Amino acid sequence: SRNEQEKLLRTSSTLYIGNLSFYTTEEQIYELFMRCGEIRRVIMGLDKYKKTPCGFCFVEYYARADAENCMRYINGTRLDDRIIRCDWDAGFIEGRQYGRG
Amino acid sequence: KRRRVSENQEIEDRLESLILRVGEKSSSSLESNLEGLASVLEADLSTFRVKILRILTECAIRMPEKCTIYATLVGLLNAKNYNFGGEFVDYIVKTFKENLKTGKWNAARYCLRFISDLVNCHVLAASSLLTLLETLVDCANEDGVPQVRRDWFVFAVLSTLPWVGRELYEKKESQLDHLLVTIEVFLNKRSKKHWPALKVWSADSPHLQEEYLDCLWAQIKKLRQDNWSEKHIPRPYLAFDSILCEALQHTLPSIQPPPHNDGDTYPMPRVIFRMFDYTDCPDGPVLPGAHSIERFLIEEHLHNILEAYHLERKECAAQLLCFPYKAKIPLEYCIVEVIFAELFNLPVPRYLEICYGSILIELCKLQPSTMPQVLAQATEILFMRIDTMNVACFDRFVNWFAYHLSNFQYRWSWEDWEGCIQLDPEHPKPRFIREVLGKCLRLSYHQRVKDMIPETLAPLVPLKPEPIYKYSMEGAASLPGTEAAHRLVVCVRNKCSAEEALNVVRELPNPLRDGEPAAAHAAHYNPLKIDVFVQTLLNLGSKSISHSFAAISKFHYVFKILAESEEAQICVLRNVWELWQRHPQMVCVLVDKMLKTQVVECSAVATWLFSKDMAPFFTHNYLWEILHLTIDKMNKHVSKLSAELQEAREALARADSSSSDSEDESGSKKKKDQDKPTEEAVERMEERLEMAHTDQKRLFLIVFQRFIMILSEHLVRCDTDARDPDTHWYRSTVARLRQVFLVHHEQVQKYSSTLETLLFTQDLDPHILDVFHQFVALTA
Repeated sequence: SRNEQEKLLRTSSTLYIGNLSFYTTEEQIYELFMRCGEIRRVIMGLDKYKKTPCGFCFVEYYARADAENCMRYINGTRLDDRIIRCDWDAGFIEGRQYGRG
Repeated sequence: KRRRVSENQEIEDRLESLILRVGEKSSSSLESNLEGLASVLEADLSTFRVKILRILTECAIRMPEKCTIYATLVGLLNAKNYNFGGEFVDYIVKTFKENLKTGKWNAARYCLRFISDLVNCHVLAASSLLTLLETLVDCANEDGVPQVRRDWFVFAVLSTLPWVGRELYEKKESQLDHLLVTIEVFLNKRSKKHWPALKVWSADSPHLQEEYLDCLWAQIKKLRQDNWSEKHIPRPYLAFDSILCEALQHTLPSIQPPPHNDGDTYPMPRVIFRMFDYTDCPDGPVLPGAHSIERFLIEEHLHNILEAYHLERKECAAQLLCFPYKAKIPLEYCIVEVIFAELFNLPVPRYLEICYGSILIELCKLQPSTMPQVLAQATEILFMRIDTMNVACFDRFVNWFAYHLSNFQYRWSWEDWEGCIQLDPEHPKPRFIREVLGKCLRLSYHQRVKDMIPETLAPLVPLKPEPIYKYSMEGAASLPGTEAAHRLVVCVRNKCSAEEALNVVRELPNPLRDGEPAAAHAAHYNPLKIDVFVQTLLNLGSKSISHSFAAISKFHYVFKILAESEEAQICVLRNVWELWQRHPQMVCVLVDKMLKTQVVECSAVATWLFSKDMAPFFTHNYLWEILHLTIDKMNKHVSKLSAELQEAREALARADSSSSDSEDESGSKKKKDQDKPTEEAVERMEERLEMAHTDQKRLFLIVFQRFIMILSEHLVRCDTDARDPDTHWYRSTVARLRQVFLVHHEQVQKYSSTLETLLFTQDLDPHILDVFHQFVALTA
């Protein structure tokens, strides 16, 4: 429900990262996002058919506070010459890594 | 009745907002705003007295830059209503004492400043304030308390003098002189053993990195020479002189600061970071000199803006750029110096490094005509002086610069630095470029870095970050493990189980058991098995970090079987390195993963890092990145266990104390009992924490012992070969030793006395021993 969704968002440590270049690698994402804290995992968004990166990913931190810092300091700055966007995410569920391509 | 309450609430909110906003930009003058507000508040004093006391005091603490505005307001209220003035004095004195008691040192300092400013507004008598200041300076002369405590009292008193020095000088000159003599005597005999450890540059030219109390003292002496007149603090009370001088003054009650208790913490000493003087700035307003009080006041104000807005980088940049006195100073230079001062602060910066980086980006965006140039000039200056830069600051400088470049298309006039290629590659300048390019590579990709660099600097570009898999390279046929490695590849590709993978390497001979039977006896592990397994598996997973992690977790069982002993774990690490040495980030991430999944222990990582194979890489940042992440892991483990234990103990105490509660609370009691840990559970937690402490102590002992060994060896070798021991390698390694002490000082402190008896003994080389003594002096 909407309420539950909002509650999840308030406590989540996962971020959706958008507007990535298709060529941006996991290593690059680690390098930048690590600067806000320890990362539990990165899940690359993949094209549904070609299974290649398609411009987004999920970054999950261990701590909520680190994700908050990421929203403060990384959201709207550049990676691979593109201004990336960070949004709260209620938590990664298998299958969501496949995007429109 | 409800309506009354909400009406009152509305008025209270309105008053609060009026008070908070006084002094902000407005169409009428500050004087008329203050006058108006004083009348409004006077009318409401009877109903909202407590609320008004609270808000005014909070404003004094939370907005120290508006100190004189609120002091004037209190002065005007006191002139209208003497009783209220008295109550306010009591209230702020109470707040001052509470802040002292709870160790809120900055809040206490701002209270004291406000109290002092009340003298300027004729709320308090000058003699009464001097008595308080004398009491505080007496605290600086207590025996048997930490120096950091005594320092704070002197700092608090000195930092009020820009506000009230003039008034005290006019009214009580001889008493003020006496106070200053006492402070000077204190400062002259004060130990500054900690000072070198905190300096951003070890060299004293062109700018001395002064110890903070020494610097403030020099500024106060200069202020005194100038007859206590300064040009930075706005003093709105001057306009109300005729009203204020009519008012009756109060006297302060006697204030005795709470005594020192073991476990109390005080602010750490600092150095004052300076990178600019007036010659660095273009024509226009002049940068105040290092010992002018204006420099202190401007810096403190800018630090306060950073503190207030650090959570909002855009607003922070905007606030910094609309600094109230910007027409009178070269503002961009002041801002850049203050931000780098925080970024380079030792032992650790106040906020995340990326916080400062992101604020600098916003500043460049907001002020594109000046900010990027000033920042480029700053970078050039930092680079020019990098030979003597503290290694922790060096790392932060590298990280910031690569990050900043990544936000501005990696544009930089690299040609200006071409000369560095002539220097010894271990010299800090080429090393800095190499490290920056390494970090840029991590944020972008190899071709990008090659393209942005002039041909002359190409030797500093790191190699393409690829795995080196020896079992598929030319000459692999002659290696003893190749055949097994190839079988393992097929096996893993066919989605084999962990057991099956283990079977493939099972038959490999143990090279340690060649020859003598004694050697065979000593071999607890098979390095060839580990070599084939680790390199092959990680090469198969080399496509990305996720692939590598998946491989480690799928074959975790095999790792655990092969790497039971510490030697075997070190062997695993050596093989990770052999495969990935051209991709330091991968090594860091994999070591981190292996620590988390307990494939290797912290002590194994430390021992490996200090092994002979790694010595040539001591001047590379990533080696230390791995060491620090390892120590951090251990520290976090200890902190987590001790927090859990603390929580369990409190839950136990709560449950016990409520067991005597009456019947009707049985519901909540049941709840508490459910959460209540058993005594045995708490005991087990205690044991676990104790074990973690033992491991932590062992880790630090390994790290420091290896440092001592490797440094002493170097010194002895240079002595026998009659060479100068003072090489780039030696300097950087001593600096790394210092960094371990500084970065992890809170944890290392617990083991100071063990370290002193076991490792840092008198027979050690004085250079190495000195590093330890400086660290001990930090909180002495």
